[in-house]
Amino acid sequence: MSRFSILGCRLRISDERRHIPTWSVVLLILLLSVTSVHAMSGREVYEKLHEVAKKTLDHKMDVSMTLFDKGGGTRNRSLVAYAKRGDGEAYKVLVLFNTPPDLKDVGFLVHARTFADRDLWAYFPEFKKIRRIPTSSQDDSFFGTDFSYDDFGGPANLDDYSFKILKEEVLDGKPCFVVEVTPKIHRKFTRYVSWVAKDLWIHLKIEYYQEKELYREGEFTEVRMVDDIPTAFKGLMANRKTGHKTEFTLEDVQYHTSFPDDLFTQRSLERAGK
Amino acid sequence: MNLGNLLRHVSLKHIRLQRAQLFIAISGICLGVAAMGSVDIVNKSVIHSFEDSINHVTGRAALQITEGESGFSEKILELVQNVPGVEYAVPVIETNANFSGGSERSLMILGIDVLQDHKIRDYSITDETADIPDPLLFLAKADSILLTRAMAEREGIKMDQEIRLQTVLGIKTFRVRGLLDPEGPAKVAGGDIAVMDIYATQMVFGKEDRIDRIDVSFLPGEALDTMKERIQHVLPEGYTVDTPAARTRQVEVLLDRFRKSMGLISLMAVFVGMYLIYNAVSISVVQRRKEIGILRALGVQRSEIIRLFLGETLVVSVIGSLLGLGLGFVFAKLTIGVVTQSITDMYLKTSVGDLAFSWMDVARDAGVGILASLAAAVLPAVSSARITPISAIRAMPYSEDGILLGTKIKVASALCIFLSALVFAAYKTADVSSFVRSSATMFASVILLMLGVSLFTPVFLKWSTTFFLRYLSPRLGVGGRLAGMSLQKGISRNAVAVAAIFFSISLFVSSANVVNTLRNSLFDWLDSIVRADILVSSGHPLATGGSPFIPMPLEMLKELEEIPGVLSAEPYRKAYLSYKGRKILVDVFDVGLRMEYCPGMFAEGTREDVVRLVPGRNNIFVNEGLAARYGIKLGDSLFFPTPNGPVRFGVAAIAVSYSSDSGVVGMDINTYRQHWHDSLVDVYELRVKPGEDISRVRAAILEKMGKERKLFALDAAEFKEEVKKMLNRSFVVTNAVNIITLLIAGFGIVITLLASVLERTREIGVLRSIGMKRAQVLSVIIIESALLGAAGGLLGSTTGLLVGWLELEAFFRSDFGASITYQIHYASVAWAILLSVGFSALAGFYPARRAAKTNIVEALSYE
Repeated sequence: MSRFSILGCRLRISDERRHIPTWSVVLLILLLSVTSVHAMSGREVYEKLHEVAKKTLDHKMDVSMTLFDKGGGTRNRSLVAYAKRGDGEAYKVLVLFNTPPDLKDVGFLVHARTFADRDLWAYFPEFKKIRRIPTSSQDDSFFGTDFSYDDFGGPANLDDYSFKILKEEVLDGKPCFVVEVTPKIHRKFTRYVSWVAKDLWIHLKIEYYQEKELYREGEFTEVRMVDDIPTAFKGLMANRKTGHKTEFTLEDVQYHTSFPDDLFTQRSLERAGK
Repeated sequence: MNLGNLLRHVSLKHIRLQRAQLFIAISGICLGVAAMGSVDIVNKSVIHSFEDSINHVTGRAALQITEGESGFSEKILELVQNVPGVEYAVPVIETNANFSGGSERSLMILGIDVLQDHKIRDYSITDETADIPDPLLFLAKADSILLTRAMAEREGIKMDQEIRLQTVLGIKTFRVRGLLDPEGPAKVAGGDIAVMDIYATQMVFGKEDRIDRIDVSFLPGEALDTMKERIQHVLPEGYTVDTPAARTRQVEVLLDRFRKSMGLISLMAVFVGMYLIYNAVSISVVQRRKEIGILRALGVQRSEIIRLFLGETLVVSVIGSLLGLGLGFVFAKLTIGVVTQSITDMYLKTSVGDLAFSWMDVARDAGVGILASLAAAVLPAVSSARITPISAIRAMPYSEDGILLGTKIKVASALCIFLSALVFAAYKTADVSSFVRSSATMFASVILLMLGVSLFTPVFLKWSTTFFLRYLSPRLGVGGRLAGMSLQKGISRNAVAVAAIFFSISLFVSSANVVNTLRNSLFDWLDSIVRADILVSSGHPLATGGSPFIPMPLEMLKELEEIPGVLSAEPYRKAYLSYKGRKILVDVFDVGLRMEYCPGMFAEGTREDVVRLVPGRNNIFVNEGLAARYGIKLGDSLFFPTPNGPVRFGVAAIAVSYSSDSGVVGMDINTYRQHWHDSLVDVYELRVKPGEDISRVRAAILEKMGKERKLFALDAAEFKEEVKKMLNRSFVVTNAVNIITLLIAGFGIVITLLASVLERTREIGVLRSIGMKRAQVLSVIIIESALLGAAGGLLGSTTGLLVGWLELEAFFRSDFGASITYQIHYASVAWAILLSVGFSALAGFYPARRAAKTNIVEALSYE
């Protein structure tokens, strides 16, 4: 129900037949105003977010990362990520590290049949072995960063979560829905709170909680449009427990790519995507 | 008059006056309880530590899958993971390495799949609690290693530091990429554990695609037996599926040997303590005759007198037992290192931090000490009640000789010895699996023998003194005759001192002869199988203190043969197999080559049979111990589990081998490699060309091959010497207990003779007054004590020889085989008797001086 349809109800005010106090009208308008803010549900927000995210599933991104440890030391990495959308919810992702030299050609492959059904593999050139990453590890650190496998692996299955809009807020000059997301399945976090930019439908900020404790928080900035797709070119994820944080920068982003299927194979992983 | 008053007003006075006697009695019980306590503590500590290690390493694994020592293909993992009901199945490699340089400390390497292992074990490399700055780099690089914080601090190692470890493939460099907090596996082995990713471990330690174990956890609600069956069903034959607790049971079998040896020593020590208590109470009864008479005259009942002496004994034994429990901890600390090294060598790096004990064991050991003391005090306490008031007050002579030389004691003695023989016969004829064939039965036989002989000591002493008086005393003059007569007068009291010496000497002689037999047998056997000139290994062949072997690749063989001066090089591998629930040793070597220059020792079959039947074929030879335990004969077939399923092996010969008391199989190296795909070597045995200088060849080996790995090139002759020293070291604790027991028995002689001197004060006064010189008085006492020692020594040596034989029959022959023949070490027998006589004479010196200094006038008026 939209605000306008509510206000489209005609009110008959007749001093002769019935006296309706002015204050009640004001109250009614106010009530309608409040309820109309949550015209969208939390789930709907995330459905919108998913629609945008789906558009990004065909992409190539060059990413640089800096890992900060609690002592202030830094480690720099760069990688390239290829992604291809499949039928329905299916998609594939190939990530290959470029730098530092010790990590050259270390890779990561995702085959998702649906958002909830994913296989992950990792490849380490020194061992010349493909390793399956168990599904339950998706909350664990993505290769030593403060992002989890899920953060990079693609959008989550909405049916595994419940959503609640807490409020609306302006962040970095952008109006946002502040949504509380609670998993229905066992995850490392008990809930997270995200700031989803309205009209852009991307995360600008996200806070992960374990019970009442905020343990991980991320910010996504420098949002630019690439092929009409809003993209945060900078991100920072900090782990409050360890004092560690990871910063990423997108150096180059291409959407609507059309990579062949054989790029997203274990063989390709072994060949380092060449 | 109640017991409390009697103890307070009567006993306390005597305790103050007879401190030395009291000290000796307490020491005897203390030692016995200490020996028992130390056995229990070591046992419990090792088991507890091993269980702890297992639990920390196995985590939530409900079942473990293993197959032999050399590991199995990782392809098996997928089979297990797909079994319905399996929650997680994770691969594990357990191996060892040594620091190269520095402390050269050994550490256990745990190779795990770091991405999933935290599902089973309590830690995660991606967890915030682990200090791993770059988990991706850890996974990506084969040289990544995680150390425990404890080890890093001990070795002064920091994060990102390079360390060098001796591995199968030589000395390798690793980089410390993380530190583990002390939880889960990081708590094992005192922190001497490192974690690597499983693929890195395979690569660095030459495992190819093999793993050592799969740890399995179940989904909730799944039953253990059902899962075990399901998993066993999908596995090829030869794989073992068992609970982690099963490994602990194997360790208990290994500890059994330790318990048996120390158990016998504890028993002996308790007996010595009992005799000292008997001695002390007997002397006390004699010395307090007058007091007893007065008490009886005042109305104290016989039962109260008995309770008085038993009450005193109770107090003494409680003190002795409590002190013994404390001393037991000290003994345990001394022996724990030797025992844990054996466990580490065979199973898993085990390090005992704190000693563990159970209150039940403590109560039992203290209880045994107290009950044994009370039992020892019963006879003299009862005899004290027979003292009539009138005889005591009038100082009429009293002697227990009638009792101890009576028929009942003689019958009891003969009966005990007969029963001992009967029990032994039952043990030997019982089936291997029967409960009769246990160490408890053999202990019973030994106890009965010792008891029987000790009951015989009064009679033996009487015979000895009679013999002495008739044939030897005339040569020693007046002193000799007086000494002999004096001994005859106090047979009962003196017999107790003799019994104490008897126990000590029999312990000494039995140990010496068992050690001698084992040493000679082992040496003969070593001589027959070690005919090489140089032994090459990556760890000292007799390393102790936690520095195990790191196997070497077979590829080194060719390089060694090319070294100038080397005639031939032969690989030797030591492997273990599970056979009927026990770990048996497999000696793997080039049988054809070895038999060319090693005669070997065979109980059945010949060297020619072995050369003809074993190389390159599925035939083996077994040692006597294994053959005896399982009734294996020539031509029998044995089935051993291999990675490709069970394989039938024919028994070509039964050999003499002391490599392991659990059983030994000899197998050709090509046969072993064919079935177990294990191409590692523990020792290379090199023969040098005739005329070549062995030390020059050793230097050439180390020069050529010592850079890429730490090597030991030991002269085989030196190796055999080291074995001898090692064997001697292994008996250090036994020897220590022997010496202490002998010392305490010696003190028993001091007390006995002091009491005798005191009693004969007037007699000595009379002798002095009619012209006997001080030196003559001295010589009488010295001769008496020497005679006591001689009697104890003779009896102890004879019995000791028998006990040694019994020990060999019961504890060693069944494990090592019939070829281990008892070899009497005559020198130790002679030494034992000389020691006994000499030490006793020395012990008599103080009482002799006291007697010689006796004031004639005071002595004549002594009452």
